[in-house]
Amino acid sequence: MRYRTSVCGLALAAGLGLGVAQASEWTLEKAAAPYAGTTVDVVFLLRPGYEAAEAMLPEFEEKTGIKVNIVKHPYENALGEQVRDFVAGGDFDIALIDLVWIGNFAENEWIVPIDKFTSNPDLLDPELDLEDFFPLVLNAFGGWGGTIYGLPFDNYSGLLFYNDCMLKEAGFDRPPETWQEVMDIYGPALTRDGRYAYALQSKRNETQSADSFARFLWPFGGSFLDENFRSNLLSPESQAGLNFRQELMKYMPEGIVSYDHAETVNALAQGDVAFITEWSAFYATLKNPETSKIADCLKIAPEPRGPAGRKPALGGFSLAVTTQADEKEQAAAWLFIQWITSKANALEYLERGGVPARQSVYQLPGIAEKYDFVPALVESWQDGVPEFRPRFAEWPEITEIVQEWGTKMMLGEVSVEEGARIIGEQMEAVLEEAGYYAGEKPLIQ
Amino acid sequence: MTVRTRRRTIFGFLGPAVISLALIGIGPLIYAFWTSLHFFNLTKLKKVKFIGLENYGEVLTDPVFWEAMGRTFTLLIIALPLQIALGLGIALILHRPGLGILKTLTRLSLVLPMATTYAVVGLLGQVMFNLKYGVVNQLLGFLGIDPINWIGDPFNAFAMIIFWDVWQWTPFVALVLLAGLTTVPGEIEEAARLETKNWWVVLRHVQLPFLVPGLVAVLILRTADTLKLFDMVFTLTRGGPGASTEFISLMIQRVGFRAFDQGLASAQAIILLIITIILAQAYIRLFYKEV
Repeated sequence: MRYRTSVCGLALAAGLGLGVAQASEWTLEKAAAPYAGTTVDVVFLLRPGYEAAEAMLPEFEEKTGIKVNIVKHPYENALGEQVRDFVAGGDFDIALIDLVWIGNFAENEWIVPIDKFTSNPDLLDPELDLEDFFPLVLNAFGGWGGTIYGLPFDNYSGLLFYNDCMLKEAGFDRPPETWQEVMDIYGPALTRDGRYAYALQSKRNETQSADSFARFLWPFGGSFLDENFRSNLLSPESQAGLNFRQELMKYMPEGIVSYDHAETVNALAQGDVAFITEWSAFYATLKNPETSKIADCLKIAPEPRGPAGRKPALGGFSLAVTTQADEKEQAAAWLFIQWITSKANALEYLERGGVPARQSVYQLPGIAEKYDFVPALVESWQDGVPEFRPRFAEWPEITEIVQEWGTKMMLGEVSVEEGARIIGEQMEAVLEEAGYYAGEKPLIQ
Repeated sequence: MTVRTRRRTIFGFLGPAVISLALIGIGPLIYAFWTSLHFFNLTKLKKVKFIGLENYGEVLTDPVFWEAMGRTFTLLIIALPLQIALGLGIALILHRPGLGILKTLTRLSLVLPMATTYAVVGLLGQVMFNLKYGVVNQLLGFLGIDPINWIGDPFNAFAMIIFWDVWQWTPFVALVLLAGLTTVPGEIEEAARLETKNWWVVLRHVQLPFLVPGLVAVLILRTADTLKLFDMVFTLTRGGPGASTEFISLMIQRVGFRAFDQGLASAQAIILLIITIILAQAYIRLFYKEV
């Protein structure tokens, strides 16, 4: 493995016009020497992947003398904090970018394309090997308009986490393969005695738009926008998906519109529901007997298929260097990003509870057996949709619209059709104002 | 002391306070007004431009704004009378002679809800009113009542917000009114009680006139606070489910800091400020002149 990665690294270095001898001499310590004593500031979330990275930090700081100052925020505050910091020319040297923020950050020129660093032999780790990242993940999380800005760091795919014991009790020897099976077979059989078949996190925040609304668009052939950037929410496919979600609510716990990730994961962990569709990042919580009653019964599968295929939820973060950082901070920030997302560190990151986006780590012997979410995750990352949620700069405005009306739909305050119509109209108004229809902006999402 | 020296002295005492107030209070207000006259989105700073009163026009014709305003006033109309009624009751009980240590303990415990951080109240609510694990539904279960979906049902979520607002701010009303009751001259109150045993008559004709200043203060402060109510609701329901608890402050925060449209959010905030000032003036004119 070590031999293979070295070869890949050298090949990349050669491709960039670097001498093999120079590449082989590269070490993190040497590269970081001019930046010892530099402090880089970064936002981290309160999630397992970030705890894993934080636990690994002392090694980086010891090797480089670069101090990484972590500012922790819950997800819901992370965008606002960073935007205010960038607008004010603040302190953050590294941007933490949810895939739906990448267009916003790139268009505002708050982040630096990685070319600036990969073209500098003093900063480029010869073993960077961009091709080792899952292509979907690298392009969706870190890329915008054909340029790579960030490297995938905290990576998610939607997975089906299920309580195998509960399924077996009900006579099932496998998890649902399709959404139709969930509706027709698993839902009725598993919703009884105060327990429910399925919990779909649908709280009115990004959870509603990403985890709930979008999850039932794509597998049914729907989407937010058509090729002309007009609303596609009234198409038969989108309507089928949203109506399906509405009907499926009878197999979900009461008050599902108030369920965020914590409540949903907890519902499975406590044995109250048979399965959930959640981000891979919650594996550590559900597998830990201290936080999950069903740790021994937990199994993982890819999300069920719809008529249009699996098209699982795709989410996750990349780390990118900010333009507001000075040259020294930018170099130090890049070295940290390159190190924490490296092939060499992927295994440790995984073992500490993170989910790396390196293909090579999942090919290591024993990994698929030890981490039983791996096969489903790898399969999901082959079949994902980068624009699962549009990644353009207007998403923060559009997600607010989806959150409000998506929740109202679920509550029955508006019909699915009426809600979809309103979201569509308001979404198009935002896009109109942004200049997409006047040809001022390219139709990329 | 010359006139000049006297002016210097006055400025020396007042100047720092006035300058601080201008910097902290007036400065941001002027900036908010300036922002409200511009297209000013934090994620589109290259497009910032003067648009006159366009943001105000958009706010005033936006049904979502008025729905949020309606919700806020519904909360105010329900919660404030409850707080005044309960607060007055508590104040009258505490004003009665006797009760000794109990009275002291009650006064102390009244401070606790007010001293609790708004956001913590919201988090407490999330735990206590949880459908499955919340203590409230556990207690209802002892009474044979089925669990109530507090946070996930629009009507119940609104009721829960009212409950927490009343819980947190009734003690404030009680303490203000208790202070008002202590200003009633003892001999007048005693004479009134000799004249009649009817507590309502004593309250209406003897105590109430002394309570009016406190009541007006309560009305103004609680109205302003309710219009600004944010932290508790944000941590408890985040404005949901749907938009059932999206009060005006949550809406302004959503527009300004989640959609980043600072111009529109500033216009909303300025309109809210105008409404608050009008209400405060109305309270003062109505109550001070008529009582």
